Amino acid sequence: MNDMTPTREQREAKLEGMGCKRKRVEDIRFTQGRGNYVDDVKLPGMLHGDFVRSPHAHARVKSINSEEALKVPGVLAVITAETLKTVNLAWMPTLAGDVQMVLADGKVLFQNQEVAFVVATDRYAADDGINKVVVEYEALPPLMDPFKAMDPDAPVLREDLAGKTSGAHGPRKHHNHIFEWVVGDKDLTDAAFRNAEVSIKEMISYHRTHPSPLETCQCVCSFDKIKGELSIWGTFQAPHVIRTVVALIAKIPEHKIHVIAPDIGGGFGNKVGAYPGYICAAVASIVTGKPVKWVEDRIENLTATSFARDYHMTTEIAATKEGKVTGLRVHVLADHGAFDACADPSKWPAGFFNIVTGSYDFPTAHLSVDGVYTNKAPGGVAYRCSFRVTEAAYCIERGMDILAQKLGMDPAELRLKNFIKAEQFPYHSALGWEYDSGDYHTAMRKMMEAVDYAGLRKEQVEKRAAFKRGETREIMGLGVSFFTEIVGAGPSKNCDILGIAMFDSCEIRMHPTGAGIARVGSKSQGQGHETTWAQIIATEIGIPADDIMVEEGNTDTAPYGLGTYGSRSTPVAGAAIAMAARKIKAKAQMIAAYKLEVHEGDLEWDIDGFRVKGLPEKSMSMKDICWAAYNSVAPGMEPGLEAVSYYDPPNMTYPFGAYICVMNIDVDTGVYKVRRFYALDDCGTRINPMIIEGQVHGGLTEAFAIAMGQEIRYDDEGNVVTGSFMDFFIPTAVETPHWETDFTVTPSPHHPIGAKGVGESPNVGGVPAFSNAVNDAFSFLGSTHIQMPHDFWRNWRAAKNLGVFAA
Amino acid sequence: MQMNDSQRIPASKEKVWAALNDPEVLKKCIPGCQSLEMSSPTEMTATVVFKVGPVKATFGGKVTLSDLDPPNSYRISGEGSGGVAGFAKGGASVGLEAESSDITILHYAVDAQIGGKLAQLGGRLIDSTAKKLAGEFFTSFAAVVGGSAGAAAADAGSKSWISKLTGT
Repeated sequence: MNDMTPTREQREAKLEGMGCKRKRVEDIRFTQGRGNYVDDVKLPGMLHGDFVRSPHAHARVKSINSEEALKVPGVLAVITAETLKTVNLAWMPTLAGDVQMVLADGKVLFQNQEVAFVVATDRYAADDGINKVVVEYEALPPLMDPFKAMDPDAPVLREDLAGKTSGAHGPRKHHNHIFEWVVGDKDLTDAAFRNAEVSIKEMISYHRTHPSPLETCQCVCSFDKIKGELSIWGTFQAPHVIRTVVALIAKIPEHKIHVIAPDIGGGFGNKVGAYPGYICAAVASIVTGKPVKWVEDRIENLTATSFARDYHMTTEIAATKEGKVTGLRVHVLADHGAFDACADPSKWPAGFFNIVTGSYDFPTAHLSVDGVYTNKAPGGVAYRCSFRVTEAAYCIERGMDILAQKLGMDPAELRLKNFIKAEQFPYHSALGWEYDSGDYHTAMRKMMEAVDYAGLRKEQVEKRAAFKRGETREIMGLGVSFFTEIVGAGPSKNCDILGIAMFDSCEIRMHPTGAGIARVGSKSQGQGHETTWAQIIATEIGIPADDIMVEEGNTDTAPYGLGTYGSRSTPVAGAAIAMAARKIKAKAQMIAAYKLEVHEGDLEWDIDGFRVKGLPEKSMSMKDICWAAYNSVAPGMEPGLEAVSYYDPPNMTYPFGAYICVMNIDVDTGVYKVRRFYALDDCGTRINPMIIEGQVHGGLTEAFAIAMGQEIRYDDEGNVVTGSFMDFFIPTAVETPHWETDFTVTPSPHHPIGAKGVGESPNVGGVPAFSNAVNDAFSFLGSTHIQMPHDFWRNWRAAKNLGVFAA
Repeated sequence: MQMNDSQRIPASKEKVWAALNDPEVLKKCIPGCQSLEMSSPTEMTATVVFKVGPVKATFGGKVTLSDLDPPNSYRISGEGSGGVAGFAKGGASVGLEAESSDITILHYAVDAQIGGKLAQLGGRLIDSTAKKLAGEFFTSFAAVVGGSAGAAAADAGSKSWISKLTGT
């Protein structure tokens, strides 16, 4: 007997479907240097553009003289705001409902603002041209401190808004005010504080930083004058949105705009927005009739295309003596820079910051956010997080630790006491969200057991005693963080970008031989969509993942999607993929029923095909069904096997996790050592555990960077003093700690496959874990809150301020 | 950026004062100065090549003398633009004190601001660069004004080899 019939396990394994640690298919080309990035796009006759940028943070532009620049060999054109005005493009709309100068129009409002665009035959000539453009500035006093933005005598930054008492999000209180956003019940919350037995109040800042993908923002624009068509290759996290924006502002019919996002070397939110470089390259191509490439350099990326955070959060928590929270009150001063170019869904000026009640059962809460203009780069993007969710998680997780300190209670115990209980889901938060599912107590306890939390606290007590006896100069901190994210934007009832609902989409086309292609509205920047999307389809329709090609990023072929950011790909596009696959499966069932000569209802699904109930030997594989779809479908049925799904999610998803960081700090040098970092994530159904682990490692590394040193800092004159990787902290393998990962699984009840999204969780949960570890280490010396980032120098300064060097 | 220091020059106060007002002397002593022309007794235009860390640029600008109290003190200030490299503005209050008939102590208090790429890339090098340039200026100045004795005095009095290496 030599039965070669594969077992069920073998059939299942062959699919490499959901739950399989499938190797990333895209890595074959990436590891061999065969990726195709924007800078690899080289078109015949292609020109290069580069910017003249402002050295001033705030100045009037008196004149721009391009005469000498145009004499530089190779320089063909110098575009200024005056040029752009002739095509009505000197200003462009931002995603946040503001307008932004494409090129300086009368004034510059931040250092390195785009002033003129030099177009030349190569990059070197463009650079030489830039050196010859003479710009005469009249320096104005810069406004760098957001806390002074609304002073009565603060300089007027946005002269274009003179007399405008309301903006895209309601009334403006001051000439440098952008919006005020208020959520929650003020009276009830004020009452909770009046009656509070214990309360805390702290101004918690989340400093300005930058997503800093290794590949900077770039594009190639090529206008075909004969056809009137514009092709744009670009580093776009949301290619369809870019196409629509270009159609709206350049007045080119949308079907004549072809946007292609090829391989992207990291996005992290930096590549969501529309930047002056795209507009200028497009205009330059239209003017010259030749393709024009624009590629940012590192300094330009760090100093001009959108930053992240810069939230200053005055946080108050009310509680009982026993540590039960009774109210939360937060006021945020949000520094948006010179233009409000925040990349949030249009109706959400502070993103989903109202997730700030976190994982805790607050009976009442009140939140207000004031956005202000300063002379800093515009933006406010979601750097590896859903919109303003990292800020919110940092705010509440620091707040809970500060409250625990005041109560003299263990921070983990305080959290366990206040968690939303498993039976309370779906849970309605005091600030308006409906949490879909969670089991916080289980996750927290698993974390505490895994690291021997009680043992660590005991060691800390001993270490502190030894420090006080003068036996050691090392202090030890435990950073507990328990975060709840809100991702998967989002339901059309409350989420849109420029009026387009935030659905996502998938089109699957099966070929006769049983292989197929899936085109998806999302756009990978390194997340591994080509691998994981095929795994969803493999499990859904029983075709091996290797036989499914995934294509994204070409707006001519992909169905309209809102792109990849805010951990929305799996919650939204992932759902669309499953739903499209189910449409395929439904038609396949009809075909199988016809071929097997039974009623559809007599068939049941079995791993990779249909079989007749009670007659397992009578079956038809999906591969055979694909063939039949092209030659012998039932009379009256259309041939072919393809489906499209546009998925409008009924709710957001709410991933959560329990993290802990164990850290030692040498008070004499400020040097810290991360002894242990354990991250437990619950992202619902896990599609590819290896990719999840990779995502968690990457997100934690970015969280480590942000908490421990990464910063966009300005001096008083408005100079960016961290404008290169000499000063902007990017951890290498040398600095990066070892990561331990773990998980629980609480599926999302409303998502077709129960998945919640994970790419950003580690950044959201990681930052408070690091910061809480530093603060916990110093707390026994009398410190309440030390602002991030916690680099060696600041740790040393904190120790000094706490008097540990006293003789 | 602010910096206060003094320099001992082997020449009389009057001679030092005259040199401080002589565009030819200033041109010789300002590091990287390519041209310095007097447009009025208190105003000059200058071209200076300035290098901070990885950024090197030619600055064109105006130099103004003010608060003149001959032969005791003045303020020299300037403002220049280096195109894409950025801009610089600043000045120095200079005071002369006669230690003896042929030795003068020159006190100076410098304040300077820089902006643009110079500040972004060279920020951490500004202080050491400014000190280095000031050192170079006064070494040359002492040499020009005090002759060979001045050069030796300025050299001996200024720096150890290690501080030259570290630029402090």
